[in-house]
Amino acid sequence: MRLVKVIERLLAAIPIMLGVAVIVFVFMRMTPGDPVDIMMGQGGTVSEGEVERLRSEFNLDKPIHVQLGLFLSDLARGDLGNSFTKQQPVASLIGERLPATIELAFGSLFIGLLIAFPIGILSAVKQNSLLDRLSMGAAFLGISMPSFWLGIILILIFSVKLHWLPVQGRIDYDAGLQTVTGLYMLDSILTGNGPALISSLKHLILPSIALGSAVAAIVARVLRSSLLEILRSDYVKLARAKGAGETTVVMKHAVRNALIPTVTVVGLQVGVLLGGNMIVETVFSWPGLGRLVVEAIFNRDFPLVQGAVMVYAFIFVAANLVVDVLYTYLNPKIEM
Amino acid sequence: MRTYRLLLIAILLGVTLTLSACATPTPQVVKETVVVKETVVVKEEVQVEVTKVVEKEVEKVVEVTATPVPGRQTLIVGLAGIPDSFDPADHRSRLSETVLRNMFDGLVTRDTTSGVHLELAESATLVDPTTYEFKLRQGVKFHDGSEMTADDVVFTFNRIIQENMIEYPDPHTSPRKGLIAPLASVEKVDDYTVRFILSAPWPPAMQMFVHQQIVPKAYLESVGTQGFVAHPIGVGPFKFVEGQLDDQIVMERFADYWGGAPDLGPSGPACVSTAIFRVIPEASTRVAALLAGEVDIIQAVPPDLVDVLAQTPGIVVKTAAGTQPKWMELNVNQAPLDNKLVRQALNHLIDKELIIEHLYGGRAAALPGALSPFNNFADPSLQPYPYNPERAAELLAEAGIADSDGDGKYEWNGAPWAFVVDSLEEHRALAEAVVAQLQEAGIDAQLRLWEYSVVKPLLQAGERSAYLDDWGDSAFDPVGHMEAKWHGVEAGSPYGRGNFSGYNNARVNELIKAGETETDVDARHALYNEAQALIYDEAPAVFLILPEEVEASSARVQNWEPASDSRVNLHDVCLQ
Repeated sequence: MRLVKVIERLLAAIPIMLGVAVIVFVFMRMTPGDPVDIMMGQGGTVSEGEVERLRSEFNLDKPIHVQLGLFLSDLARGDLGNSFTKQQPVASLIGERLPATIELAFGSLFIGLLIAFPIGILSAVKQNSLLDRLSMGAAFLGISMPSFWLGIILILIFSVKLHWLPVQGRIDYDAGLQTVTGLYMLDSILTGNGPALISSLKHLILPSIALGSAVAAIVARVLRSSLLEILRSDYVKLARAKGAGETTVVMKHAVRNALIPTVTVVGLQVGVLLGGNMIVETVFSWPGLGRLVVEAIFNRDFPLVQGAVMVYAFIFVAANLVVDVLYTYLNPKIEM
Repeated sequence: MRTYRLLLIAILLGVTLTLSACATPTPQVVKETVVVKETVVVKEEVQVEVTKVVEKEVEKVVEVTATPVPGRQTLIVGLAGIPDSFDPADHRSRLSETVLRNMFDGLVTRDTTSGVHLELAESATLVDPTTYEFKLRQGVKFHDGSEMTADDVVFTFNRIIQENMIEYPDPHTSPRKGLIAPLASVEKVDDYTVRFILSAPWPPAMQMFVHQQIVPKAYLESVGTQGFVAHPIGVGPFKFVEGQLDDQIVMERFADYWGGAPDLGPSGPACVSTAIFRVIPEASTRVAALLAGEVDIIQAVPPDLVDVLAQTPGIVVKTAAGTQPKWMELNVNQAPLDNKLVRQALNHLIDKELIIEHLYGGRAAALPGALSPFNNFADPSLQPYPYNPERAAELLAEAGIADSDGDGKYEWNGAPWAFVVDSLEEHRALAEAVVAQLQEAGIDAQLRLWEYSVVKPLLQAGERSAYLDDWGDSAFDPVGHMEAKWHGVEAGSPYGRGNFSGYNNARVNELIKAGETETDVDARHALYNEAQALIYDEAPAVFLILPEEVEASSARVQNWEPASDSRVNLHDVCLQ
């Protein structure tokens, strides 16, 4: 039953994706700036007719509805087109960068949850204590701190000053990693390459903290407030009256129920992590999708931007779906 | 139960993470023979100059020392942007060339100070005004061991100049065709001789051939463009090992390298065994990577970080003549800027020396007019407009602009004289300084920053007043520059494609066009001198400055010099 629902939801994503495709297509063409003009750059010589030739090569000389038709018919065949500037199929460009972005998103999520759970739970249990005030202050700071600033500060402290962690990149050049999935940590484990595992882990830590701190802050606050509400509820009182230990009461009875609103927030954060990490990827020279998209936007590389935005849209849809499925596990009363 | 298990896993992973975070980096022992070449003297004057300028920043920096990883014999370069392609014929980006020229050589190459030199060509002869004959070096090997012959050269250039020669991902024409547009055909004379036939005489030909690198015909035909970009092969000092364009590109020394341009630097295989280009577009990250010893050379050091780096022990800052002259173009069709006197006055109002001293730490030159002072055809008799507010006031008064009510502000047409200076984020500091100087002088100037592709159509429509930007000049030849910037706009043609002032002087246009095909050097100088004099006098722009290219390296890096065209030539570089 659940599987049928999941498939239904996935099918419902198709019109959403189509809508996104059309909107991105139109918006990119409404944005001022000519891809061929940017490509020709400043300096150097441009020959007669060169601009026209490139424009027709990219189909930019055709009316917009014709271009849209071509784009959609290619899309129906699963072809995202070729990048203007990189002369590579968009699908392969995205495919190469996506694993880096996914790895960073999971690293950040992990760091975020690792920080958020103990803080959220402790500050709810010890409400209004010094610990609570301090950690909620820290959470406030975490939300307000721009990730690029935090990134640079982390680099200065842990890389430049202490030399503990690398400044940038995903792995050392001499780690000798054979890529299988493109997720370097996973690949290191699959190929049994210890040094590569350590190297990729070290490269992952700082960007994950920079990106994960905001997640930690949001999740900790949500977890705390929902836990506070639950700790005052009757069944928690009952559990205590039964003589259950405080740890059992909190961990077994309260936290599980506090997870429902938390999971919603975490699900949304996954979308944000996968889609909104352009800045952190740039600061840490993380060769992911975000950086590719930023460059593509500035170059007005229409096919690349369109392809990437569709990937993002799909990720958001998928993250929401996962959240909904998780709900049904956390609370069997909820149906999809 | 499940919760506890998850928690346990989480804790375990957390511990692993923390442990590895604390682990000290294992020093790598690399055993290899290293050819150590003679040490090049570091430019002393740069460092000395800097000591005087910043005092506050120094204190912050002294604690930071670059720590070289012991024993590393791999040279790592921090690139300022992302290259577009591994195919020398399939990109239009300077950065791609920066990387590729370490794996590929061209018929000719260029040195920042001494011009064009023969590389794979043993000789180059201008047989007649439209025919070049190149004799090729013999015994030059590609990375796959095959020998380079005339067939490869003909193939390389045909692949660029003929339509739809690049078949991947879809058949298309090389984006580099336009750079060598006058090249009509290439013919093989014998195995080591090729003839280049031009459609018309083309004086900057050799300068432009520098930017085309030779690819192996047989290999490319067998693996196709897709196979070639997956594993590029050239005749350059380094061969491709692995890499991704937006991450890192690893190359190793090519033992059978033919040696490199005999006129330039040491000959023979490269000094270092491995060279890596890492893409680090964020300037502060690039600098941090250099300070942390993760990279050895970084490109494009931002002006505000130059002094910090120059003060850091173990770091060397070097500069090369820049190729990005900057000016503020003035809309010559908009009153009162349509008056030559007003434009000249604005040139006198900007204190370029002050800007160079304080904004660039002395690492820039004032522009003497339409061309960069380093251009091979810059008129040496032209001097930058001197800073002279009194002269400016006289000129403005003559044009009917004066401080009539004595409030220190210029009035024009009965109202305070105001205009907006448009620019791009990358020029923010300079633009702010220029606007501040205009305000100081009594003009109500305001700054507005744009994205280039957004402001460009407005500029071309003549809707803006003043636009501050730069225009590349890496070939040191007026072609590519004069026709784009100072020729009147001819829609759909290269003429005036970067002309944002609306300047259109029939005589200047005529001179620029004549200069494109004049092969006699003296006559060509005469044409460009006349054009420059006219442009200088009519001042369609405030001629500002030419910043130097600033790069930095760790002190372990020997025999390295930054190049004006951002080429990072790793062939000669050694690591101490």
